[in-house]
Amino acid sequence: MPRVTTVHSSELAVEVCIDGGRLAVAVRGEIDMESAPLLRTVMRGLIDGGHKTAVLDFENVSFMDAAGIGVIVEAAGRLTAAGGSLAIRSAPPMTLLVLQITRVSELVQFENPDLAVAHAAVDQTVEDAAAMIGREPVAIVSDLVKVGSMVTATALVDRALQLVTVLAKAAIDGADGVSVSLERHERISTVAWSNDTVLQMDLHQYQTGEGPCVDAANTGRGFHIDSLADEDRWPAFVPRAMEEGIASILSTPLTTPARSVGALNIYSNSEGAFGEPQMTLAGLFAEQASGIITASLTDQDAGTRLAQALVDREVIAQAQGVLMGRNHVSAVDAAGQLFSAARAAELTVSQYAANVVASTEPEASGE
Amino acid sequence: MSDTVDVLERARLDTGLTMTELWFRYFAVGGMSTALEIDAYLYGALVATPHNRDLLAVALNERFFELGLDHPVAYSNDREIDGD
Repeated sequence: MPRVTTVHSSELAVEVCIDGGRLAVAVRGEIDMESAPLLRTVMRGLIDGGHKTAVLDFENVSFMDAAGIGVIVEAAGRLTAAGGSLAIRSAPPMTLLVLQITRVSELVQFENPDLAVAHAAVDQTVEDAAAMIGREPVAIVSDLVKVGSMVTATALVDRALQLVTVLAKAAIDGADGVSVSLERHERISTVAWSNDTVLQMDLHQYQTGEGPCVDAANTGRGFHIDSLADEDRWPAFVPRAMEEGIASILSTPLTTPARSVGALNIYSNSEGAFGEPQMTLAGLFAEQASGIITASLTDQDAGTRLAQALVDREVIAQAQGVLMGRNHVSAVDAAGQLFSAARAAELTVSQYAANVVASTEPEASGE
Repeated sequence: MSDTVDVLERARLDTGLTMTELWFRYFAVGGMSTALEIDAYLYGALVATPHNRDLLAVALNERFFELGLDHPVAYSNDREIDGD
């Protein structure tokens, strides 16, 4: 008599079926950064419980990114170590593609009733993916829409960026890890990554507030560290990176037409891994990622930006009022004075206006 | 005045700002014209008031300054002041 248990989150349902000694885990939905922990927890529980072989049924998986790969790698590693194995049943072509690009396919067995058809489909998709390199970002996004199901704009963008990291890692010789850092709501975080080590690397940089990825995102300049052992910038970050086994780094800024918003980070365990060809490719992938981000910003951040613009306007209007009273000038002349004074002080008009407003507050001295 | 128009549009192209982006910045510093009107100012179909022109100059200059390029677009009250 088979025992069936189902656990689920909003994106993912995991159905565990234990029939005698046979364990089958059927997954339905999308395996990404948000939902993967659920599957990971289930797999860990089953393996801890003594199961040595498992079948993961992926027939109803509509999308899987690097986070899902992480779960598979961990489960396959532990089962293999215990003398068992992990099999994947009915993986859709896109999932197979991701497994193949990342070579995870070598760690698992495939149980697929229609393997030949699936392989042909994968070959086709691999070709498509290869062709994506050098194609318009919009085309990648539209391909992803076709492949996975679309949830929200942010999720879609993250997926497109995830695909960029997977493709970049596969295409760039010597790359042991690739990630995308992106500033959202004035905070920088990693929105796509190829494996846990690079995620760890990025976190170190956000924690210490320094590192090539943070600097690339902030300054819009690229950073190439040929050998971490010889690097004297970023003294807090470099030792931690070396502890993780990283020896060289290439961080390329991601930009919108207005400013730099993030970085494409490529890490290698070997010194001197990145030369001219890798830098050219990194530039190409960074361009694609930038395009994806730019396309998304127009809609996504408009609300936030509009809110900020309204705050700035308000401060400027207040400062205008202060100057009108102080200097007995018209509103337009007060604005003109603000503009010239801000330029002379090398501040933005809203920064300068904030100073003017603050100068009228009781705590401010000097009056 | 076509001289002014050229300056603004050329500056916009130099900053790489899109029309939408420029409008956002113009709006944030207190501009009241719509994005369509901004478009018209830059292409010379509408004549901007000196104040509106200054607002556009500020929006462009702040972008130039982010790019490390000082404030190349002049403001309307600049000609009263001699360079020192």
